[in-house]
Amino acid sequence: MSGNLRQSPRRRRDPVRVVLLAVAMLVFLFPILWTALASIGVRPRGFGPPALTWPPTFESFGEVGVAEPHFWQELATSTGVSAAATLLTMVVSLLAAFGLARSVFRSRRFAAEGFLVLASLPVMAYAIPLGELMRRLALSDTYPGLILGVAAVTAPLAVYVLYGTVSGQSAEYEDAARLDGAGLGRLLWNVVVPMIAPALAATAIVVFVLDWNMLLVPLVLAGVHIKTLPVAMIDFFTFERELDWSTAAAALIVSLVPLTLLVAVGYRLLDRFSLGATQR
Amino acid sequence: MRQAPPTIGYTPPGSRPTRSVCGCANAVRLTTPQRLALFGPLAIVVGIGLVAPVVLGFLATFTSFSPGLTSVRFTGLANFAAVLRDREFLTATRNIAVFVIVAVPLELTIGFGLAYLLRRPFRGRAIVRVLLLIPWLVSPIASGVMWHFLLGPGQGMLDFFLAVLGIHGDVPSPLSQHGLAMAALIAVEVWRVAPLVAFLLLPGLTAIATDLWEQTTIDGASLFERIRVVALPAIRPLGLAVTLLLIGAALGTFDTVLILTGGGPGTETVTPALYSYSAAFQVSNWPIGAASAWLIVIAVLMIGAVYLSLTRKPS
Repeated sequence: MSGNLRQSPRRRRDPVRVVLLAVAMLVFLFPILWTALASIGVRPRGFGPPALTWPPTFESFGEVGVAEPHFWQELATSTGVSAAATLLTMVVSLLAAFGLARSVFRSRRFAAEGFLVLASLPVMAYAIPLGELMRRLALSDTYPGLILGVAAVTAPLAVYVLYGTVSGQSAEYEDAARLDGAGLGRLLWNVVVPMIAPALAATAIVVFVLDWNMLLVPLVLAGVHIKTLPVAMIDFFTFERELDWSTAAAALIVSLVPLTLLVAVGYRLLDRFSLGATQR
Repeated sequence: MRQAPPTIGYTPPGSRPTRSVCGCANAVRLTTPQRLALFGPLAIVVGIGLVAPVVLGFLATFTSFSPGLTSVRFTGLANFAAVLRDREFLTATRNIAVFVIVAVPLELTIGFGLAYLLRRPFRGRAIVRVLLLIPWLVSPIASGVMWHFLLGPGQGMLDFFLAVLGIHGDVPSPLSQHGLAMAALIAVEVWRVAPLVAFLLLPGLTAIATDLWEQTTIDGASLFERIRVVALPAIRPLGLAVTLLLIGAALGTFDTVLILTGGGPGTETVTPALYSYSAAFQVSNWPIGAASAWLIVIAVLMIGAVYLSLTRKPS
């Protein structure tokens, strides 16, 4: 190729990428935007030429509490249960992932992949016996039972991810600590956790999102005394009377805000989330 | 000389722990109490919350067990036979096959496309990444409620934009129309899941060394060749893991269907998970619910076996 005068291909393709990204953003975010507008009362007029109602009001957010009297309490329950379950998942998964990554067990890589298969098992596959088992253990409709059930769903995925993280770390510092006579607890807390803290935080965010959005486990294990937001949303929606779109939209936006804030705050950390670190 | 891997805890002076030569780098020998402390908590949580229900569910499917029933009879394969003879379950199986075959490749392709667009850093990429993750933050239930209105007549955006195009009148929701309900359902799930796929695949794409891309660019490879030769082999293990998770989730499709169509119109969008749920909790036919749920377990285990055999092969 003589006289290579072409510009760097990187520059050349940029406009295409910008356009494609803009289209993708529009497709994926427009439904959310439409819902957000409806929550502040900006929605199709329903008669005449297509137009949106104006001006915006915040009445719908008040309506949520009327249509679903316990909505705000359910929001708190969801937050508490998800936080507790995330903590439980992270602790048990980190211990096991560390044990797996640092043991002499030959097929540990295979075992880690086995956890991914467990993680892919949909909850409905075992939700029916789970409800009965928890009832027998007198744990149904209790916080411990619900938190245990929710934590068990996400633990296999967390083990898989953290196994990848830990086995990707060199054991040098652990060796040094071990030479100083550090026990298992100190080794984990003072050496391993600080080293993989960003990845731990990223995994915790993902687990929290999964826990927060979980429907079946709280539906089967609780629902009378303890109600999480997704369960409430089913009642809210299948209520006898016709639900107003603005009220529903306000409830949707309110339930989306905590997760969006969490992800927005942790977006730098989320860069550290990697499902595939196992493949080294 | 084969040396034992080091142990955690006190090491006698003079016997410096050495890296093991057993082929597993970074390995240490764990004592039994340490093993218990590391694996015990997970075993309790996953044992009670996941493994025990799967196993108990399996055992219960061979009996007439039902909560509240005092006498339990062994019924052999009668429950499975009853499920497999039910036309509705067969429809559900066909529906979920269509769903998995259409939705999962769409999610993977669109997700990969998004990740590919985000592959190289640019100003504002972090913000775009977070914004593009928002659809996945919407729970399946909330997504169902949202799309019910978005696609419905009167308030929806579908209706609105058809009116802008000059098509007036209340257009019935595609979710209630024969032949369109499944397509609408797939579209809603792809909208929710594709951003997650992009989020999961992106680290794999950014990890590819820059010279690899540049080499193929100099060689004059087309976009598709570069994806085929550079990107896909590099993210194969990650892609397989994501595919497994997507197929598993798709096989258990439940929340969104429950809210969006309830399985209708007719039985056009009934899934095995929905069938199992309504058998156990709405019709109170516990054995049928448990047996049909176990058929989902079998499907996932089969897919899982394929996955494990694929990851074992060095590529």
